[in-house]
Amino acid sequence: MNGNGTGVPAGGFPHLHVASAYSTHYGVTLPEALAGQARAQGSSFLALTDRDGLYGAVKHLRACVAEGIRAGLGADLAVHDDDRLPLGRVVVLAHGGTSGRGYAALCRAVSAAHQTVGAGAGSEPSIGRSELAELAGLRTLTVLLGPTSDVGEAIERRATKEAGARLTAWQRSMPAASVCLEIVCHLAEPGSPGSVTPATRMLALAEQSGLPAVLTNAVRYGEPEDAVTADLADAARTLTPLAELEQPQTNGQAWLKPAGAMRQVARMVVDAGLHDDGALARLLRDTELLADRCTLDPQADIGLGTPRMPEARVIGVTGDPLAELWKRGRSGVEERYAASGRPAVESAHTRLEYEMATVEHLGFASYFLTVSRVADIVRGMGVRIQARGSGVGSVLNYALHTSSVEPIANGLLWERFLSPERQTLPDIDLDVESARRHDIYRTLFQTFGSDRVSLMSMTNAYRGRGAVRDAGLALGMDPGQVSAIAKQMWRFNARDFRRALEEKPELEPLAAEVRASQQLDQLVDLTARLDRLPRHISVHPCGVILSDASLLDRTPVQASGMGLPMSQFDKHDMDPMGLIKLDILGVRMQSAMAHAVEEHRRLTGESIDLDRIPLDDEPTYELIRSTRTLGIFQLESPGQMELVGKLQPEVFNDLTVEISLFRPGPMKNNMPLLYLQARHGEVMPDYIHPRFEPILRETRGVVIFHEQVMRLFDELTGCGLGKADVFRRHLGKPEQLPLIEAYVREQALTRGFPPTVIDRIWTVLAGFGSFGFAKAHGAAFALPTYQSAWLKTHHPAVFLAGLLTHDPGMWPKDLLVAEARVLGVPVLPLDVQHSVLDYRVEDLPPGYAALVRTEPEPTEPEPTEPVPSGPAGPRRGIRLALPELSGSTAAERARIVRHQPFSSLQDFRDRVRPRRSSFEALARVGALDSFIGYDRERRHELLAHIQSLRGTAVTVHDDQLAFEVDLPVPRYTGDRFTAVTSLELRGRTQTELELRDLSLAVSGHQLARFYPLFAELGVTPASALADLPGGTEVLLAGVRRATNTPPMRGGRRVVFVSLDDGTGPVANVVFFHDAQERIGGPVFQTRHLLVRGRTRRSGAKGVSVTGDMLWDLTDAARLVRQRHSTERAAEKAAGDEARAEALAAELAAVAPANVHRLWSVRSA
Amino acid sequence: MPQIIDTRVDVELSADGDPLAFTWDRFEHTIIGQPQAVFTRTRWWENDGVPTRIDTELWRVDAARGGEEQHRYDLRRDVDGSWVLALDWG
Repeated sequence: MNGNGTGVPAGGFPHLHVASAYSTHYGVTLPEALAGQARAQGSSFLALTDRDGLYGAVKHLRACVAEGIRAGLGADLAVHDDDRLPLGRVVVLAHGGTSGRGYAALCRAVSAAHQTVGAGAGSEPSIGRSELAELAGLRTLTVLLGPTSDVGEAIERRATKEAGARLTAWQRSMPAASVCLEIVCHLAEPGSPGSVTPATRMLALAEQSGLPAVLTNAVRYGEPEDAVTADLADAARTLTPLAELEQPQTNGQAWLKPAGAMRQVARMVVDAGLHDDGALARLLRDTELLADRCTLDPQADIGLGTPRMPEARVIGVTGDPLAELWKRGRSGVEERYAASGRPAVESAHTRLEYEMATVEHLGFASYFLTVSRVADIVRGMGVRIQARGSGVGSVLNYALHTSSVEPIANGLLWERFLSPERQTLPDIDLDVESARRHDIYRTLFQTFGSDRVSLMSMTNAYRGRGAVRDAGLALGMDPGQVSAIAKQMWRFNARDFRRALEEKPELEPLAAEVRASQQLDQLVDLTARLDRLPRHISVHPCGVILSDASLLDRTPVQASGMGLPMSQFDKHDMDPMGLIKLDILGVRMQSAMAHAVEEHRRLTGESIDLDRIPLDDEPTYELIRSTRTLGIFQLESPGQMELVGKLQPEVFNDLTVEISLFRPGPMKNNMPLLYLQARHGEVMPDYIHPRFEPILRETRGVVIFHEQVMRLFDELTGCGLGKADVFRRHLGKPEQLPLIEAYVREQALTRGFPPTVIDRIWTVLAGFGSFGFAKAHGAAFALPTYQSAWLKTHHPAVFLAGLLTHDPGMWPKDLLVAEARVLGVPVLPLDVQHSVLDYRVEDLPPGYAALVRTEPEPTEPEPTEPVPSGPAGPRRGIRLALPELSGSTAAERARIVRHQPFSSLQDFRDRVRPRRSSFEALARVGALDSFIGYDRERRHELLAHIQSLRGTAVTVHDDQLAFEVDLPVPRYTGDRFTAVTSLELRGRTQTELELRDLSLAVSGHQLARFYPLFAELGVTPASALADLPGGTEVLLAGVRRATNTPPMRGGRRVVFVSLDDGTGPVANVVFFHDAQERIGGPVFQTRHLLVRGRTRRSGAKGVSVTGDMLWDLTDAARLVRQRHSTERAAEKAAGDEARAEALAAELAAVAPANVHRLWSVRSA
Repeated sequence: MPQIIDTRVDVELSADGDPLAFTWDRFEHTIIGQPQAVFTRTRWWENDGVPTRIDTELWRVDAARGGEEQHRYDLRRDVDGSWVLALDWG
């Protein structure tokens, strides 16, 4: 001990009860800040005891290691007795020096507390005392009974006897020496919680019972200034304004006080009561002793930094994992490369040996086997899987069938993925069918065992809008006012709110309000305080943790939304904890393609193996080059359509380049333009030096890929590719740049590069920064891009059925339906006899066209290239799926599918028992037309009949056969019915009815009714745009499908509007600044537009329109109608006439030579 | 009845940080016994701005000037570290 007589080293105080900001809506200081503060105060120990979990534990451990102080871990947990009655909250601390038993018991205690959640609605995590006692056996845990425990609660209300009895109950339940009393005093006013009186009484209770007492400060924040933020946290947690909080913190003293302040508190507590001699010294000494006992060794107790792979037998290996990996790798290379010839096999073996040397060196053999086992399991479930990320650069992964992209020919590097220089656990991401993701998770839990698998969590932090909302709530502001402010919180960090108010002109009105209002002024500061604080944790969208049977001794778990256990650790905690994480990401396109393949198999019996289709199919590239890329993975956005038109891909690598160019970094650095100029021969590729040409040839001298940067570093310095990847990653760190530059210059000179070359290449490398893209990513994306394009080219019907079922892209389904129509694939209307839960392809009913084509339609423009119609056979169409019916219930839809087909309307009603609203909607859209012989005219009668039905449905047991007796069926024939007209149907086209109840126009395009107008005005169909020369003045019309405002190099906003007129792909119209000013709000708001502009050609197939003026199509239609009627009546109605004339004049300005008479007009 | 003083005073602190004595009106008042600190929270959202502290620090001390009768005083320490003799409880 030391000389000051208190038993505490003069330097610091060991805090044993500290909540970090990861105790969401409670603690407000990040673990790193707390550890830094503790060390600055001279403390050698800090425990972190977050509420209900170990959420901040790993960050705390790492921070303590970094600060060179000892770390303790615990949790602030609610406890209940055997009758499930609450016993308040206690602090559970893990003992160190126990070879991890203390930490394991703590993890298990936290997990146990969370097991009770969900047992009753709204229940909070809580652990049973007997369970806690069991876990605390073998001297693994200490439980602190403080002011929030049942004992402390009795003390607080002066029920000393009861406090004693409760303490006795604890002592009886818990193992010997596992209970301490916790003295907390926040120097609150006498009579309120946290005052000195209950603290001194608690100390007396310890003396009477012979239990040790320790002093803590029940810390919620680092510095006293953070108390305000804790007030906010209380308001947010309880959803109550500060002024109405029932239990606000008594004062602002729950901070990480230094030793002097804690000793002062101790003296006041001891002085306020009658205590034994030496009580003060004993209290401080016992606190120090418990801290010693709870000091965790990062390695021996936690296993920090030691990877723990699943046991060999779990991944199906009997012998040595390394030997097994060699065996599988070698045979995989033989199989994968067999078709490519012997030299390819040999070079793959060489690469495999090179990769295996690193794997062996790092001891990651089990990791590769584990990932490959997971991929096998997924494939075994019949689920499509595709590896993504840097792992695609590995021959080993390709040989193991973890990845399906061949790395050598694609120029992918192993070192981008793994090297001895890269000490962190590698990452392999697996994309799977989104619709099967949860099935996969469940299967993994079953296969590996739930003691080895857990989902990963993610911490969601406060951002601007959430912060301003919770700050507004705390201040009790009007939610409408707060909401209006929240809407302006973008494009700057909430922590910079005040500066943004000063600097941003668009915020000036708000800034003026802030200056005028004290409350708004506070709101600005409080919002900044909340920014970036952890807000809640949720399940990570794709992270799955795989480990050995010790997993639950190393991470606490709690139930995720989908019911499966989820670790309390996030992705930053994985590596330090030695936890292997796999990203298993659900990708809708994979589901869509799987659906297409399955439909094809169902219809033809033929199986398509998408992973084995040749990658050089010319029609597929032709389709991509035509820019009709709607529905194709990665290529369907307006920007990608334009780029693909300019780039004109010819081989697979072009797709990789295309996808990699279309990223924010390359776009901002003008890389697409540089590349395109060189690609199309407008400029000579600039390789800077002949020795760089092999590296840069594939991208015509433009540095796009991480792999190229690595190879440039290697060529310049001879540092090896592993080290080169380290340099590459450091390019994004300004402080590292001078070091790298010095090294590169020195080495490159000795390797014979002239200084001018070094200057130029260094400018390129430094400018590259952290931008660019791993080619491995690009190639992994390019594969599903190619596969989806191949499906669209050769099997459009089933592919569109997949797209419509799984909706993977950015466009509304209505546009997919329009695309199907253009591709010559009929989309069949909703029909309770045929529609099921997903989109199916079916043979067209005989005379189909006559049944549905009852509205004016454009003559279908000849597709620009022949649409392959698959194998010979009857023409097929896509049947609309039941879930599209707005407002129908899942149960209704399930009953429809279960009881199809229906013999009569009565049969349908009795078995499906639809709600009235669904029943009528089905009738309106024609889904019940089968009961009226598909005679659309009689739908009026049908709807009227359904509306008149009053009797309840006859309940037909689910498995009962349909009634064979005739039920009274109204005869929908005879004169009586022809007079029936339903108001809901009158005057409405089938398209309008479909849009109302399905949000999809199946029978015809929603603009078909405007086609006569388009013909009259001379509107250019979108499908004809590609044939026009640049600079042609055109009128375009269509329904708005997308609006984009990409950030531009110049800083001025550009608005892209994608128009669909039903003739082909969307037409993309660009509105520059001047046009935006001329048009105003309608550039964003108008739904049906008429646009005047000029074509702008970019590359062979790239064409877009620069918008000049924009009108609301319905206004234009009305004005033209009025003009017609005025012409007929030869009258002059001044106002509208003038406007119509003005419009007519403007429209007439368009050269009539561009009028395309593709709009077939059927006179109504 | 307590008498409102509200005057800046100089306070001498012990090595442990407790007030030992304060100088008021040129006279030193010696503090007797263990003084108790009390932190009282404010309803800061009712005032202007956002404060650096949400509570005020008051020390209730018994003190005597020379050999005179001891009084009970409230000493307030402000955020800037300055001391104010708030009340004389008599």
